[in-house]
Amino acid sequence: MAEFAGYLPGFSKEQVEWQALNFGAGSSSLRVSVPLLSEAQMIVLCERVERSANDYLKNRSVTDIIDIIDRTIARLLTRDDFFRLKAEKFLPVVTGYDSEMVRLALTKYLKTFRKPELTRFLAEDFPNPQILDSFQPLTKGGFGRAFGPNLLAHIWAGNVPGLPVWSLVAGLLVKAGSVGKVSSAEPLFAGWFANALAETEPEIADCFAVVWWKGGEKTQERNLFIRADAVFAYGSTKTLGEIRDSLPVSTRFLGHGHKVSFGIISAAALNTRKAQITARMAAQDIAVFDQQGCYSPQIFYVERGARVSPRQFAGYLANELACLEEKYPRRALTPAEARDVAKWRQKEELKTLSDAEIEVLRDDEGAWVVVYYNDSVDLSPSGLNRTIKVVAVDTPMQVPSHVQSFRDVLQSVGVAATPEELHLIAKALGGVGVTRISGIGSMSSPEAGWHHDGRFNLKDLVTITEIESSAETVSETLAPYLD
Amino acid sequence: MNRNEIERAVLNFIAADGATDAAFNILALEIFRFQFENNEPFRRFCLKRGLTPNRIQLWRDIPAVPIEAFKELTLSCAPVQEVERVFATSGTTKGALKGKSYHSTLAAYDASMLKTFDTWVMRGLPRIDMGILYPSEKVLPYSSLAHYLSQAMEKFGTPASRFFMGDKNRVNFSKLFSELKRAERGGAPYALLGASYSFLSLIDELARRNLSFSLPQGSRLFDTGGFKGRAREIDPERFYDGLSERLGVPRQLCINMYGMTELSTQFYDRGNVVIPSIKLGPHWVRTRIVDPLTGDDVPAGEAGVLVHCDLAHFNVVSTVLTEDVGFQKEDGFVLLGRVEGAEARGCSMAVEEFLRASRN
Repeated sequence: MAEFAGYLPGFSKEQVEWQALNFGAGSSSLRVSVPLLSEAQMIVLCERVERSANDYLKNRSVTDIIDIIDRTIARLLTRDDFFRLKAEKFLPVVTGYDSEMVRLALTKYLKTFRKPELTRFLAEDFPNPQILDSFQPLTKGGFGRAFGPNLLAHIWAGNVPGLPVWSLVAGLLVKAGSVGKVSSAEPLFAGWFANALAETEPEIADCFAVVWWKGGEKTQERNLFIRADAVFAYGSTKTLGEIRDSLPVSTRFLGHGHKVSFGIISAAALNTRKAQITARMAAQDIAVFDQQGCYSPQIFYVERGARVSPRQFAGYLANELACLEEKYPRRALTPAEARDVAKWRQKEELKTLSDAEIEVLRDDEGAWVVVYYNDSVDLSPSGLNRTIKVVAVDTPMQVPSHVQSFRDVLQSVGVAATPEELHLIAKALGGVGVTRISGIGSMSSPEAGWHHDGRFNLKDLVTITEIESSAETVSETLAPYLD
Repeated sequence: MNRNEIERAVLNFIAADGATDAAFNILALEIFRFQFENNEPFRRFCLKRGLTPNRIQLWRDIPAVPIEAFKELTLSCAPVQEVERVFATSGTTKGALKGKSYHSTLAAYDASMLKTFDTWVMRGLPRIDMGILYPSEKVLPYSSLAHYLSQAMEKFGTPASRFFMGDKNRVNFSKLFSELKRAERGGAPYALLGASYSFLSLIDELARRNLSFSLPQGSRLFDTGGFKGRAREIDPERFYDGLSERLGVPRQLCINMYGMTELSTQFYDRGNVVIPSIKLGPHWVRTRIVDPLTGDDVPAGEAGVLVHCDLAHFNVVSTVLTEDVGFQKEDGFVLLGRVEGAEARGCSMAVEEFLRASRN
């Protein structure tokens, strides 16, 4: 099988050089051709996207844009759509994830970009979304209008299929021209989405592009960055630091680094009836994309004193992970990933030799690992790829102090607790840097309009131009209708 | 068997050539039983996996101890205060724990080392003039390599042999070069031995001074350790070309040794004409190549993590899970290097990055 990645308005396939990336093996192997633009082509492309966004996108109303995205998403939610079929067929090969898991997750994810959700997304940041179309009266006096960047650069990373949709949609809503770079790990989805958008509304077909270059190749990165007004990037602390340092001071940088997320299970969720369900939902949070998401839990803190003890809960969780391995098997790991998991498990197993408070529950084939800590430990990550720590605590309120020294890297917390506990825990967690609290079982599906890493997704992209009331006053003195 | 009996059996096994698989298996299981009974942390390690000597019939099923455990646990059958020598890993990270190997006596270590060195390095020569680019064991008493090289010099070196590295961890180049000049003129084969990174600085120094030597026929080079974690790395082709050109030793006489503190036996190649070379071990060590998650052997020819079962390492643990990756080839294996972390695929923070972040 073969497929072309990227989306390059104004260039034919023949004009561009391509490089092959190979995925999968045997009959299901896939050859993905990624574009290798020359420097001149990259510059032409950036200029074209910026100009088209200026000519076409900036003149469309935000309602219009929502409508275009909505129709595009509707296509991608239709099972027999051309791009949807491609996604269902190729994404499991490229990412290695179970095909049913990819299908379900894709639907769950894409439906958060339908019209009602997009409207909500917009309203989260702009109480009056028309501020993106024209000058609107401001409560302090005067008028204001929000302008998005002319050119927004995206650096996508990671292996959560569909991830680029998020920032591409954000760019469209603020009417920015977008040039995004796909990662070698999943180079396809962004291109399909761009193609689908262009088919839905040909007038905006030149307002975005999807490119590729080899990771670490600085020339093309620089060609894009010096033309962009804002850069939106996913990556490790190191990658983000390098990008930030390479940007002109005036270029806005929105970086989403790697994060650590965890769960908290209060005693209320641990009676004999509920504990099983809680464990099932916790296991789902772990299994979705094999903990590759920033929102994926790496530890569950479990309260003591309920009918089901934290140690028993660890056993329940192990059972659920074993069931999920049957239903949605873990992706085949690369040798290096397998060694990482093995090394992590080895370290944990060695601890059990000298510390009776630690237990390792494992699958013989290495498909999952649950490590139980009877004595609370400081936050430290799991080995990922369906490996998890269960830590017993006397009360959920102990957790914030355990994690507070890691505030820079905390993100989501899945909570199973009573309403009263929920609000108490949330207050304490917010204080130590946690930005998202979800129900257990929903950690991997943030709701539409969530504030990713606690930031304003759209507001951070725009600048407001204000007409102060003094300008109005002066203009009044100069009006032709002046008496 | 008690400790003395085990040691004698190991020494006999090393001395006798051409042991059968069955004989290897019998002794490996004897040693496993001895270690299970006398090495408390190792016993706990086995029991956690539900393994006892009575349940194991094949050396392949003896649980492999990860080298990480050499840092965390005290692995010794003899009481540690009674052992003749302790070797420790160098551990470059400040404050990091060092992996330790306790040798109740050095008899098996030395017997193993001398026999393999004789076979793969001496290749029939009784003695040779040696220059050693590493500190002696007087300077580095905890270094297994320093002991190894000191033994090599004592048993196979001529009286003219000497060390060219003192406690400053730097090669004394001027002394070395006058010695090489002497060897060049003398016409007798010369052996230069040391850590790979010392040879790298030697190549650099020779290039800087625009010097080269043409060592007499039959001269040989011996490097070990590789370059991981060093300030500079070099492509192995360029490394051996550089050595060969600057010292006049053909690549078939550039021998690389692969060894570790956590073992008593080393592996060698038959020169480095073709890279990567095939590494070979003697009859008292067996190597498996495993999937690190399941512990099962990988299909022949596929890459996996190396597990060595070294009978000479009887006082510690014989079966060791390394962090080295390799694949089986012909009568040996090809070493691909150290296990390195996978590049992050997603946005979930992995352990390595987390540790870096929390240190900052």
